[in-house]
Amino acid sequence: MTDGEIRELCKRFFDAYENRRIDELAEIYAPDCVIWHNVFNREMSGAENLAALPKSYGGQRRRTYDDRTINTFDGGFVIQYTLAGVQHNGHKGALWICIVALCRDGKITRIDEYMDSSKFAAWAGRPRDGEKRNEA
Amino acid sequence: MRVDQSADAMTDPELRELCNRFFDALERRDIAAVEAIYAPDFSFWINLAGAESSREQNLKTLREGYALLRRRSYDDRTIDTFGTGFLARYSVNVVQHDGRRASFPACIVAQCKAGRITRIEEYMDSSRFRRPRPEAQ
Repeated sequence: MTDGEIRELCKRFFDAYENRRIDELAEIYAPDCVIWHNVFNREMSGAENLAALPKSYGGQRRRTYDDRTINTFDGGFVIQYTLAGVQHNGHKGALWICIVALCRDGKITRIDEYMDSSKFAAWAGRPRDGEKRNEA
Repeated sequence: MRVDQSADAMTDPELRELCNRFFDALERRDIAAVEAIYAPDFSFWINLAGAESSREQNLKTLREGYALLRRRSYDDRTIDTFGTGFLARYSVNVVQHDGRRASFPACIVAQCKAGRITRIEEYMDSSRFRRPRPEAQ
């Protein structure tokens, strides 16, 4: 794939994620797509990822994938971005994430995702382990 | 891949050599070699802090960090290059002074120019620091 094609695929992927277009994501994942996450250090299939998305989307009112910095290399892209979330109670949080994606024939064949799980509580507006919620 | 056509642009082999030279220097605690690799205007950012640090601040952190561990290695390096830099995915393996070990995956995106690294952005999961394993018997 050319640089332009890979960038277009990257944008389509993140726009679909943001707009909760699971049907579009299913088109973008190759049949043998594998997704690995640094927090759990394990792989899941594209189908497993798609099946988990409805519940995952239900956790927030809105998610946007902002500040996207994309670089392409032979066979894929690396994207650094800010995941901004609005919880159902209005709490807003952000996570800094990096994804490395391998691409082939217009589809994504592998995703490696890197983030810091110690930021999850602040992102969701929950107290961290060992912290008490400061309530009025 | 977009090609950087500036005079300071580096080729794919040059970027890969620089990447390995950088990690090898970190591994053998050769701060002088790391200093030579960092450009004068080098900056460092990590997802754990979300703040930038300067060349001197980063070198100070490296010097202080070495005293905290018996050994640290950067293994399983997967390197990809793009027009202005490289992406490296790797496993950090550490051995603490009491023998406990920890391993965690990380990646950096580095911008490079004229044979040096001008910026590093690093991503990892800090919860992995809290799960050291006992020393293998």
